[in-house]
Amino acid sequence: MNRLILKYGRPLTAVILAVFAWVIYRRIASGEEIIPLAVAAVIVWGLGAPAFIYLWPRLTVNGYKRAIVKHGFGDGPIPVNTLYAVPGTSSPSVSRGSVMATGADDLLYIGGWLDLSKGPQVLHLPDMAGRYFSVQFTDPSTSANFAYVGKRTTGTEAGDYVLSGPGWKGTVPNGMTQISSPTDSALVIGRVFVESDSDLPIAYVLAKQIQLAPLKR
Amino acid sequence: MVNALAWFSQSGVVQGLILGAVLAFLTAILIMNAVGRAITTTVNGWSAIRKCGQPGNGILMRAACAKALPVVNVFEEAAYWTTTMDGSGQTLSGRHGYVLHFPAGKLPLNDAFWSLTPTDVAGYMVNNPTHRYSVGDRSPLAQNADGSVDLYLQHQAPSGHEPNWLPTPSGKFKLMFRVYLPGAAILDGTYQLPAVVRAQ
Repeated sequence: MNRLILKYGRPLTAVILAVFAWVIYRRIASGEEIIPLAVAAVIVWGLGAPAFIYLWPRLTVNGYKRAIVKHGFGDGPIPVNTLYAVPGTSSPSVSRGSVMATGADDLLYIGGWLDLSKGPQVLHLPDMAGRYFSVQFTDPSTSANFAYVGKRTTGTEAGDYVLSGPGWKGTVPNGMTQISSPTDSALVIGRVFVESDSDLPIAYVLAKQIQLAPLKR
Repeated sequence: MVNALAWFSQSGVVQGLILGAVLAFLTAILIMNAVGRAITTTVNGWSAIRKCGQPGNGILMRAACAKALPVVNVFEEAAYWTTTMDGSGQTLSGRHGYVLHFPAGKLPLNDAFWSLTPTDVAGYMVNNPTHRYSVGDRSPLAQNADGSVDLYLQHQAPSGHEPNWLPTPSGKFKLMFRVYLPGAAILDGTYQLPAVVRAQ
């Protein structure tokens, strides 16, 4: 679908605009009123363009949410507050239009959708032993990455991170680090480096251990 | 009431709403593409957007980023460059051979890894008989006598230079260069990727 839109976007747009031009031409030619049409079009145009721009990041992130919660990455839908590690790297055999067609043949991806409305979640990391990895948290309303856990930001040692929503007032257990999410939802994307084909099974075992669990009261 | 409904259906307001929505959508796309171009820096043919994914970006920047590079890493996590052109502005094609020449010590410094991947123009990897889909810091690249490194980007194997060969698709293609945990020289902009040069 994306590919079709990419390929035929311009002719398609031209056809749609031509149809509108014809409709307007017919109205004018038959002597019908054009003012209400024009006023409605200009108002919707003027309000709609900024609205689309404002909503675009949210629409994009929600596309990922749908991909995760409705379709998953090969093993069926991924429930909220669950992280799923894709077993293989990107390759030419990845299906067209898949969000996994990233061109990154040296990373295992982890995907999940965070819902903190019923309380905080704990992100558990195994000891990554110096291996490059990152877990990115993306705010669905702005598409900004509000937090990272990983080699760059927190190091590669084992650890537990409390992900809390805006209203949470509890205390963070000893030994855990708090990450405050600006909203109750967030997109989670993990990346685990794969050194070589023979390293893939080791990387996959580590990737699967990056998991979420509810914070125990 | 019935009169009002009749006027509503006859007046063209509905067509106007639909037309306005379509125009609004197209205008939004054009604006986001224009902002995307404005925040893209291109050096030696390689394009990158350094500001995406950062908290605090304005509405236009956020939208342009979401359109160009949806949910992308921040630049200090992973630097991405793409190009569909060689250094002289010609479209990259598998009908030609290209060389990417790194002077001695000028492979991109990083704290994780780097990788160069060719894809088709839409960004999908393309099968090749050798099953080599990227070269990077883990590739056993041969150095020239002066310590520089040449990467050979072409559809057929370059005889004598197989270790430094990156097979490209037969048609038009795109290159993606990724550096994870890029070094300081990349982050401050002093490091630039060399141009892709068409072989004679």
